[in-house]
Amino acid sequence: MLGYYLRLAWLSLKRTPAITLLMIGAIALGIGATTTTLTVYHRMSTNPIAQRNDVLRAVTLDNWSADRPWDTDHPDNAPAELTYRDALAIAQGAPASRLVVMRKTSLTAEPGAGRPPFLVVVRLATHDFFPMFDVPFAYGAGWDGKADRDGEPVAVLSKETNGKLFGGENSVGKIVRLDGREYRVIGVLADWQPTPKFYDLNNGEYDTPEDLFLPFALGATLELQPAGNVNCWKPETLAGLRDLFGSECIWHQLWAELRTPAEVERFQSYIDGYVAEQKKLGRFPRRINNRLYTVDEWLARHEVVGRDSRVLLVVSFAFLAVCVLNVVGLLLSRFLGAAGATAIRRALGASRGEIFRQHLVEVGLVGALAGIGGLALGAVGLTALQQLYSSYDRLTQLDLSMTLAAIALAVLAGLLAGLYPAWRICRVQPAGYLKTQ
Amino acid sequence: MLDMQHIIKVYRTDLVETHALRDFSVTVAEGEFVAVTGPSGSGKTTFLNIAGLLETPDGGRYQLDGDDVGTLGDDARAGIRNQRIGFIFQGFNLIPDLDVFDNVDVPLRYRGFVTRDRRARIERSLELVGLAARMRHLPSQLSGGQQQRVAIARAIAGDPRFLLADEPTGNLDSLMARQIMDLLAEINRQGTTIVLVTHDPELARRAHRNIHVMDGQVTDLKPYAARGAAPDAAVA
Amino acid sequence: MEIRPILSALLRNRTGALLVGLQVAITLAVIANAFFIIASRLEKIRRPTGIDTPNLIFAESEGYAPDYEHAATLSSDLALLKGIAGVVAVTSTNSVPLSGGGSANNYHATPDPKAAPIAGNYFEVNADFIDAYGLTLVAGRAFRAEEFTPVPANNDLPPVLILTETMAKTAFGAEPALGKRLYDENGKSGEVIGIVSDMQGSWLGNTRPGPQDLVFHPNGGFGKTWRYVIRVRPGERDRLLPQIEKALNGSGHGRAIIWVRPHEYWLTRTFRADRRMVVFLSTLVILMTAVTALGIIGLATFQVNARRKQIGTRRALGARRADIVRYFQLENGLLGAGGVVIGALLAYAASGWLTNAFQMPPLPPLYVLASALALLALGQLAVLWPARRAGAIDPAVATRTV
Repeated sequence: MLGYYLRLAWLSLKRTPAITLLMIGAIALGIGATTTTLTVYHRMSTNPIAQRNDVLRAVTLDNWSADRPWDTDHPDNAPAELTYRDALAIAQGAPASRLVVMRKTSLTAEPGAGRPPFLVVVRLATHDFFPMFDVPFAYGAGWDGKADRDGEPVAVLSKETNGKLFGGENSVGKIVRLDGREYRVIGVLADWQPTPKFYDLNNGEYDTPEDLFLPFALGATLELQPAGNVNCWKPETLAGLRDLFGSECIWHQLWAELRTPAEVERFQSYIDGYVAEQKKLGRFPRRINNRLYTVDEWLARHEVVGRDSRVLLVVSFAFLAVCVLNVVGLLLSRFLGAAGATAIRRALGASRGEIFRQHLVEVGLVGALAGIGGLALGAVGLTALQQLYSSYDRLTQLDLSMTLAAIALAVLAGLLAGLYPAWRICRVQPAGYLKTQ
Repeated sequence: MLDMQHIIKVYRTDLVETHALRDFSVTVAEGEFVAVTGPSGSGKTTFLNIAGLLETPDGGRYQLDGDDVGTLGDDARAGIRNQRIGFIFQGFNLIPDLDVFDNVDVPLRYRGFVTRDRRARIERSLELVGLAARMRHLPSQLSGGQQQRVAIARAIAGDPRFLLADEPTGNLDSLMARQIMDLLAEINRQGTTIVLVTHDPELARRAHRNIHVMDGQVTDLKPYAARGAAPDAAVA
Repeated sequence: MEIRPILSALLRNRTGALLVGLQVAITLAVIANAFFIIASRLEKIRRPTGIDTPNLIFAESEGYAPDYEHAATLSSDLALLKGIAGVVAVTSTNSVPLSGGGSANNYHATPDPKAAPIAGNYFEVNADFIDAYGLTLVAGRAFRAEEFTPVPANNDLPPVLILTETMAKTAFGAEPALGKRLYDENGKSGEVIGIVSDMQGSWLGNTRPGPQDLVFHPNGGFGKTWRYVIRVRPGERDRLLPQIEKALNGSGHGRAIIWVRPHEYWLTRTFRADRRMVVFLSTLVILMTAVTALGIIGLATFQVNARRKQIGTRRALGARRADIVRYFQLENGLLGAGGVVIGALLAYAASGWLTNAFQMPPLPPLYVLASALALLALGQLAVLWPARRAGAIDPAVATRTV
């Protein structure tokens, strides 16, 4: 019967091409709009390291002022970053499977051979950074604990920086000059674009990862300037970087890998004990408020999904609702307009179920065509958005899950729009329509 | 084969209650050709709708081939319409989007016949009504008489035992009307029971028996033999 | 014409009327809020920067060589830039206005560090900054060249400060700010020696400090990074930009010129999200209104077709074309009015959500009113075509039986 129903649906759609196009167009527009906003929203809110979500924890300690909380809108939140001394003390003593302490700096790379020097954004991190965050390597590998302890001048390049400096070839073992010093390349990353940049949401949540990675210890020995945000609360005289290292200013990120609940508990009690000790020294004037966040919780805390994309998501769903209502009206008019033919079919022995299925097939055909149209429109919408987002172009790529979502949405919208009209038409009493034409 | 006893049908709206059939009883035997006459609003069409299982009675008993069909559910009634009953309407009621072949095909589709069987039945019944050459025409490309012949072909394609015709010649000129009546008589000769609703005494005369309906009741049953004495003055 | 029969006809086709009414309602709720968002974004994008944006070029220099001399590079760069024909004025600075990055401090109007802090967005500049940004001196005097400290010893407040007019009001209220002192949290202070016209600071739409709460410090920074503000003669920016880049790059000093860009680069970047919102919302508003209009046309066409006989009878009984057209217009008006009333409630519900979730200001009634009127007008326009077709129905339809 499906073939028969499809043929009837095709005949019916062909009879009023204007209304058919209007219906398909309306749903396709709604689907196109929602696919576009959904893709951006999905990209913004996706946890880029979901596979390690449960074992990674962002560490926060509340070293802020007794007079006011870090965030007056959310007074329970501890500051998002740590001081140098606290980050270092915890990195050295805390019980964790892995642990990374890090911050941002910037250096000038000299490619030599007459090419002009350029700025590289640098992440100073301890060696666990690479295995903790599943960072993929194209060549070589990261450094080890010894390089961290000794502050060895070794560097890991991003794929892009390796392209700029060495034309993309395997540069392991080569030398890169930064701010007049030489560093040995020990690794080159493969393409790595975690979006959002979960491991440091305070310094550009949709920025690409840093251009170059150096052992954390070099930041102190070479006195490298901070390139990210530095937030301070305490009246302190700061005469240069040395004072910043000893200050209450926060500018470090700390992540721990804790594989079992017991490990989480042990780590929590360690940092609570640490803060209690520090309180005895007159630091940490607020109550003990040290929190560990999974990546999901961390993304939620930073509200990385911009309010605009949430508003647009709601607006596009409202638009889809209007389109669906519109199509319900059109289908209802169209089905009831052809009620005479349905009455004849009923008189000739079609059951309600057969009439219902016949019309549902017609609706399904509209939905399928609209889904295809909607995907095409969504792709157009995303291409247009690309112009508007430029640097965030990874936010505007239609991916498989969004394609599937769009198809599901189209079918759902089509069914939603078609169920009521199909139900109405299958309740038509044949007797009333047969007497006159 | 058709047995209605004390059938009641009432139409209600917010304001008025119309008794379309009141204590309506009639019996039609296998192979009969019965004409139902009566003025407009007398209840002829209501009788036809109930007889064809398009509507259910509010009271009384309706048996078709000995089965109690007055109280069946919607799907069961659809099944009986499909297998045992053929309909012919005044307005032909062909589906305008479908060509002649596909129109005749409609009841056969719901019957679940295989393709070869359907094709054979369609061709045979269109042959019978003389329209085998017009299979791929749309209804709008046919004359009124041709359209009604298609409707008859559709009604008999599934070999129903029982044919219901509602003013089948009402929209046709007299020559075409005669052709249609000849066709119905031929179908009846081959064994199909026919109930014809009409207000035209000329047509009614071609039936074996006339049933006259007035104010929702059968007023008079006249056997075939008595047709010359029909009280035509009562007919509107 | 009477409304009662129209209403009862609408009630008979409840579903169709309900569907169109709901479409109108949702559309109103969305477009009223969308118009409000669009208007506030456009206001933000078009807000004056307070500086001579079209003629400003910014450049960043970062020292890297072991023998890099910070203070010497600065004075040499300033001389070099001032010497380029077409350059009007130059200053060093720590922050680019409206770039989203800058420095803020808590100031106090009294030496007591417990007093309520006054947040200020500070710009580290040299003596020529008023000319270089294209500001005007409103009161007091500019910095003198000898008051500029290229590499300060620490983060104490400098002895002299200049404020924007807005900052002067934020810090001292109605009292004249000139000659008063601002204190930092270490108790160090600087005297307010000048007031300049307002300009937009580092961050757009900030609340603490406010977007125009600016304090100018006659300082350089401790790092190895300088930024320069280079104001050029009108119309010369695009010609001079590559020339400036070349001159800086060719001057040595063991530093890299990280970028040289017109100020408009940051405006485009900073307002990109707002422009995106305006474009996206406008598109959705247009599409949504179009779909709703088509819905109205669809329903009316269906109503006309379903009532051909009735309309023919009315015509046969003496109704003029205009009466029939007016009937459908009135019907649409009633439907629209119903939709608009529900839509207004929905619009405020949506606005409530926006206020709650995103701290947006509440929706002004004007937007709801204007959107409602626009939708009603659109409805009338949309129904005109099917209504005219209804008017054209032949009275003879009434007498044809089949």
